[in-house]
Amino acid sequence: MIQTILDALSYGGLYGLAALGIGLVFGVMRLVNFAHGELIAIGAYLFIITVDLGLPISILIAVTGTAILALLMELSVFKRLRLAGPSVLLIASFGVSIFLQRLYEIIFGALPLSGQIAPWMSGVIEFGNTTITRGSILTIVLALALLAGMRFLIENTTLGLQIRAASSDFQTARLLGVRSNYVIGAAFVFSGVLAAAVAFVLVTQRGSVDPLFGVNITILALVGTVIGGLGSLQGAALGGFAVGMTISLLNSFLGNYRVYTYTWLFILVIIVLLIKPSGLISNKAFKERA
Amino acid sequence: MASEFLPSRQLPGVTRFQWQQLLGPIIVVIALTYLTSGVSASFSYLTEGTLALLVMVLGLQVFIGNSGVLPFGQAAFAMVGGFASGLLTAPIKIKENVLDGLWEPLKAVNMGIWPSLLIAVLVGALFAFITGLLLMRLSGLAAGIATFALLMVADNVFFNWKLIGPGPQVMPQVPKFAFVDESLALTVIVIVVVYLLGISRRGRLLRATREDALAARALGASVWHLRVLFFTISGGIAALSGAMYAHHAGAVTARDFYLGFTFITLAMLIIGGATSLWGAVVGTILVTAIGQVLLVLEGGVNFGSVEITLPNGVRGLVIAAALVVILIWRPKGVTGGKEFKLPFLKTRSAAPG
Repeated sequence: MIQTILDALSYGGLYGLAALGIGLVFGVMRLVNFAHGELIAIGAYLFIITVDLGLPISILIAVTGTAILALLMELSVFKRLRLAGPSVLLIASFGVSIFLQRLYEIIFGALPLSGQIAPWMSGVIEFGNTTITRGSILTIVLALALLAGMRFLIENTTLGLQIRAASSDFQTARLLGVRSNYVIGAAFVFSGVLAAAVAFVLVTQRGSVDPLFGVNITILALVGTVIGGLGSLQGAALGGFAVGMTISLLNSFLGNYRVYTYTWLFILVIIVLLIKPSGLISNKAFKERA
Repeated sequence: MASEFLPSRQLPGVTRFQWQQLLGPIIVVIALTYLTSGVSASFSYLTEGTLALLVMVLGLQVFIGNSGVLPFGQAAFAMVGGFASGLLTAPIKIKENVLDGLWEPLKAVNMGIWPSLLIAVLVGALFAFITGLLLMRLSGLAAGIATFALLMVADNVFFNWKLIGPGPQVMPQVPKFAFVDESLALTVIVIVVVYLLGISRRGRLLRATREDALAARALGASVWHLRVLFFTISGGIAALSGAMYAHHAGAVTARDFYLGFTFITLAMLIIGGATSLWGAVVGTILVTAIGQVLLVLEGGVNFGSVEITLPNGVRGLVIAAALVVILIWRPKGVTGGKEFKLPFLKTRSAAPG
């Protein structure tokens, strides 16, 4: 029972991190970034490749590399699509996603690369007669720390203020002197850092990485971002958290029917969208402009 | 809410019937089909598969091109059509031996390809109608994500529910088309249907809602009704495509109609130009041709003394790059979203609609 709750919380935290990464970029440029999954994948590849250099160096390389790729995406593709609508941006990011998947296949091969990152995370802690995995605790701690960190950054720094201003009303923010390209670039870099954190947790759980590594979690986090409320950062994180929790709980309670978890999840998603198309926590400025 | 995907005020689309706009694409498709399928058996197989894809792209075009809404879940209806037609035509013995969990009435039924195609289209259209009634209330990103959720549900159900199909396994022994002519005839019919729908009163009204929802409503157009109608037709055509694929490959699995299929068909339409029938045809031909050349290169080719071998994955890489490049530099697609026009007839229709 405790393990079930902890699993749900750690799933929720993980998906919340992924959704926040997608929500950050969506806030400033109305892009639902399907290629976020390939940021997670490159992070995982970098962790596995640099495993022999020791964890601190490995983390440094993976975080930097992922952030650089995120910035490259923005500079090479999305910067040239500033005038395009959200649907065009979404399909462009679908193209970027497939492009990178094939690129990883060419560079790293189609087969999974394996490696033991932080093997101590798979250990268990015993409390009386219940055992819980270290991984789920660490995921919750990491998610809370990063969410708190992002919150501090967004609420208490000038850059964060600019990101919030751009999220709630991009045109006005621009007119008031917010440098749009700089803010969008920063949002991409932060989404890259969050992707690397998600990659770390996932790669310690799975122990291997392949070109499609990030697809699944991205689809779910993206859905979380949308139902949480596009254009609201808390909404994105909470939406991702809700999706993660729901999956974990459905997995526990459906028993033998757990293969249908996604069916129920996506039916719930459709229902939420039908009732509140702008998301559970909606941002008024976004609605007015949509 | 008006134009969500296609900012195309300069492109009202076709408003009156012109023979060249209909016959041009038909003649091109027929000529290319016989030219390529005459080369070899493997080319004939490729051509037949491409025709099934073209039907899917046409089904996407009739909805996206007229409504301006981008759905990500049409592959779900192709899945429904492929499974319906596959199950109805596969030999009873195979079903009894391989698909043990199948619903008894589905086990017992067996019919020819043509009636099964009809049923596949009807079932696909019915599913599209029911889901469209709900989903077409949405627009923009919410519609995109909700249709995507639909694809996820369809994939999850077909992949696991053995009462209505093979589950994660392959549905084997689906009877194949004997000749490429059968696929060709179906494709030509779909081209005619899509063209006539585009120039119909309802097609024009739907495009009006795409450009200016308020003005269109003043003309008595209900965005919801029109979108549901075209979504239903698009779903029926997608189901036909899935069924054609099943009878082309002789087998069908749930994963045939998943993200890869969704991506490649959307890429074909956008690369060609989503606002026109001609764009759908050109995009499908172009992407298939590029893919085929690269596939040959992936296998290794000798140019004189130089051998060129591309690594696996280059095909998807190039097509994805082409899609992104088109979106950046030529968002209306290579045809510019215009219908087929003979070059020497330029002067007649100089005044744009």
